[in-house]
Amino acid sequence: MSTKGTKIPDWLTVPFAGITPAPTQEKGQDLFPTGNWRAIRPVYRDKLPPCNNACGTNEKIQGYLDLVKRGKYLDAYALIKEDMPFPSVTGRVCYHPCEQACNRGKYDEAISIRAVERFLGDLGQALTNDVVQAGKPNGKKVAVVGSGPAGHSAAYQLARLGYKVTILEKSPKAGGLNRGGIPDWVLPQNVLDREVERLKQLGIEIRTNCEVGKDVSWDDLKKNYDACVLAVGLIDPNSIRAEGENKEGVLYGLPFLRDIGMGTSKVKLGARVAVIGGGNTAIDCAREALRQGAIEVTMITVEGNQEEMPAVPEDLHDMLEEGVELIHGRACVAVLGNGKVEALHLHPAKFSGAVNASPINIDREAKPEKFAVDNVIIAVGQHASLNWLPAEFKNERGTIKADKFGRLGDTNFFAAGDIVQLGSGQPLMVVNAVGDGKRVAFNLDKVLRGEALQPRTIPVDVIFDLNRMNMTYFPHFPRIQQTLLPPKTRKKTQDEVIQSFTEEQAVEEANRCFSCGTCNACDNCYLVCPEPCIARPERSNGLYKILVDYCKGCRVCIEECPTGCLEGVPELDFDTGVVRMDTAFAITPGLHGRQAEQLKHLDERAPKNI
Amino acid sequence: MATIEVQRQVLPILENPNRGARFYNPELPQSEPFVPGHRTCAGCGPSIQYRMTSKAAGDNTILVGPTGCMYVANSSYLCTPYNIPWAHTQIGSAGSFTAGVSAAYEAMIRKGKWQGKFPNIICEAGDGSASDIGLASISGALYRNHDCLIICYDNEQYANTGIQASSRTPYGGMTTFSPPGPEVPEGKKLYPKDLARMMAAGHPHCYVATASVGYPIDLMNKVRKGLNHKGAAYLMVYTPCQKGFVYETPRSIDLGRVVVECGLYPMWEWNPEKREFDYSFRPASMRPVSEYLKLQGRFGHLHAEHVANMQKFANQQWKMMGIQIPEALLRAEDAKNVTNMAAAAEAEAVAETV
Repeated sequence: MSTKGTKIPDWLTVPFAGITPAPTQEKGQDLFPTGNWRAIRPVYRDKLPPCNNACGTNEKIQGYLDLVKRGKYLDAYALIKEDMPFPSVTGRVCYHPCEQACNRGKYDEAISIRAVERFLGDLGQALTNDVVQAGKPNGKKVAVVGSGPAGHSAAYQLARLGYKVTILEKSPKAGGLNRGGIPDWVLPQNVLDREVERLKQLGIEIRTNCEVGKDVSWDDLKKNYDACVLAVGLIDPNSIRAEGENKEGVLYGLPFLRDIGMGTSKVKLGARVAVIGGGNTAIDCAREALRQGAIEVTMITVEGNQEEMPAVPEDLHDMLEEGVELIHGRACVAVLGNGKVEALHLHPAKFSGAVNASPINIDREAKPEKFAVDNVIIAVGQHASLNWLPAEFKNERGTIKADKFGRLGDTNFFAAGDIVQLGSGQPLMVVNAVGDGKRVAFNLDKVLRGEALQPRTIPVDVIFDLNRMNMTYFPHFPRIQQTLLPPKTRKKTQDEVIQSFTEEQAVEEANRCFSCGTCNACDNCYLVCPEPCIARPERSNGLYKILVDYCKGCRVCIEECPTGCLEGVPELDFDTGVVRMDTAFAITPGLHGRQAEQLKHLDERAPKNI
Repeated sequence: MATIEVQRQVLPILENPNRGARFYNPELPQSEPFVPGHRTCAGCGPSIQYRMTSKAAGDNTILVGPTGCMYVANSSYLCTPYNIPWAHTQIGSAGSFTAGVSAAYEAMIRKGKWQGKFPNIICEAGDGSASDIGLASISGALYRNHDCLIICYDNEQYANTGIQASSRTPYGGMTTFSPPGPEVPEGKKLYPKDLARMMAAGHPHCYVATASVGYPIDLMNKVRKGLNHKGAAYLMVYTPCQKGFVYETPRSIDLGRVVVECGLYPMWEWNPEKREFDYSFRPASMRPVSEYLKLQGRFGHLHAEHVANMQKFANQQWKMMGIQIPEALLRAEDAKNVTNMAAAAEAEAVAETV
């Protein structure tokens, strides 16, 4: 019974007299602390969404999508920049492992994360001053060799940690593979220029035309800097060991793209071009060849079909749309022609073992097929060029021998990116190189500060199972597709093929995010609690609080949490002997407890004349 | 006689929580007229309803609680979890007491003894009070058009006395008054009283609606519409009872959704101005009734023909709302097809197709 507005004498504030104090919004009705009924306690525990887990540099994808939903674009951009120095680049070129891992892909269609990233990256490009600041200078100098994705990322993170960073780049322009390996119609030069400018704004010195082994020696690096990150990449193209490979008109994939990217290309392609190789570089070469004036472009791969090609399926699809022909299961054994390439001899071939990971068996007995071409572009991978490196740090694959932290022995030298090939041995994608550079930067920082290095921890709880979320709250919504230029017109120009999202599209696409396993302050638990014992002083992730004195453990909030952030924890864990229940054994005194004290002294009081 | 200005509260209607693909509840009022510290069962449906209703109504509210669960469990030792004035009344006099409160405020305003805004007067009657014992007094209050909102929180039985059948108990529902046995295998033979339609038909000048705890924002909006309506309003809310329905406590909200999706609790509003029913509410999907029945122990004894009867009943409800019934649900009216649907996979498949 509410006693609001009633003046109650002191001696009447006990239950036997018939009137008890009114409950308050803050404390509830503490005559009945019902928390000791509970066997299972709801707990807010944010889990790792699968996209964050799959990303090569562990971008906080769910976090920035949530911020985009709320229209906080600048906060979202700042959150991306923690792990990714150039969202405008990866927003265009990334092979988006996040989208493959997206839980929404099992429900309707994966979220177009790359497009939202590009939207945020372009927003960041438009800012006069970047949101990221260099750290407080700690007086230490670090050299980063190479300005490709891994070097860029390592330099960026080191500058944020307060190091004086110098980038040594052998080409006339910084950017490494981002500039030399990615064509203009995927990543326009001015976008990359702007990102390089951002590096300079962080106080990073970039020395172009400076090649290690020629302009700077190993000993110079050792002497002049406190530490060094080697991110030189794989630059020398592999040959196919075919007869007559040195003829005029035979080009190699990465140098072909690099020269065009740097603006130093003198190549004039003929009408018929063959591209040898089935990877991403080969696809870029084939599409670039069309834009350089070739009429008929044919791709010759050893892989038996499209599915086996180690390439991004979307790019392959776009290439075929542009009219590139595919020939599978063939290898080139000879380049024919009188001084200049005129035709190729092709033989049936296949991998002796696993696809793309074993030597190639060429059927040399078979009758060679003659394939007439004007130019041939060979894009079958690259290898390292490490003449300047002391032999003790080279491994049997010809790359740098580094431990799992990217460190060379116990020196202050670290290596990152393709040159280390940690893991699969396959060339890394841009985002993996960025992640590699980031981790190496943090490891380097630890070494210089004399801290012990920690191996990468495996994420404990990643949500892969839709049953852990409540799908009734998510209606099916189709993915918003980025518009593409039509194949007929785009294949003759250097214009960007994939168009960016508008603001409305970016918000609408971010709205599709489930926020797997992470509280996004939807207020559903707060709304459905029967007690109600879920309090929130403000509506924000991390500020929801369960009043354990009252929670009866009905688990309605756990069941109704759309994202699966709430989970139940047994109060009495018999396996581990853990007792969490704070109301069952230490009974909250409540109103009875308080009144018991008063009742004890009731006799001592002077009798009242009622 | 000079006209007297009555200041009325106008409560804003809340936004839909589904914004495009995003689920995000609208900003809810901060005030908490119903606080924790009460002895309802864990996962109590009526308690969820009580909380949402009082939150929607706000602080300037007077609650009337006729005898029922929410009186017995909540007001012990004369302590209540209500932060606002609350009064208990006899189970039969829900309507007359509420009418009295409303009339008293009208009189106080007329005599100048109450300066503030006219309070929201809400009567929270259980289905026992609203459909059986207090039906006459509630009908009287609606007929005389006192400015109040009468809510029937419908847990489909007399729950505070230990689960007895009321006239709202559905066909086949097991209670202590309707135990299944060899003579009456379905437990309860009678179909539930269509209480809300009865109120709408009999008192067409009132705002009448049905709601469910499965759709909280819809429920809160209907409460606000009822309170904003000048005159009497009547709301019937589906509130599952964990003890009586025999289900796992976390399912409370889920049952509120499934019952609507199965067509057993049609959601509609009666528009007193146009004098017509508004059937525009559409659940996300339509499901066979077995989806709802299998969640609850009180229907555990039903045979295939009883489930088919329930499906017939549900299809009549869909038809009443003017919704085209999918082929799969019409097939389920035949007991032969029901046996398959008891299997989870089959029912899931039907729910997907319809």
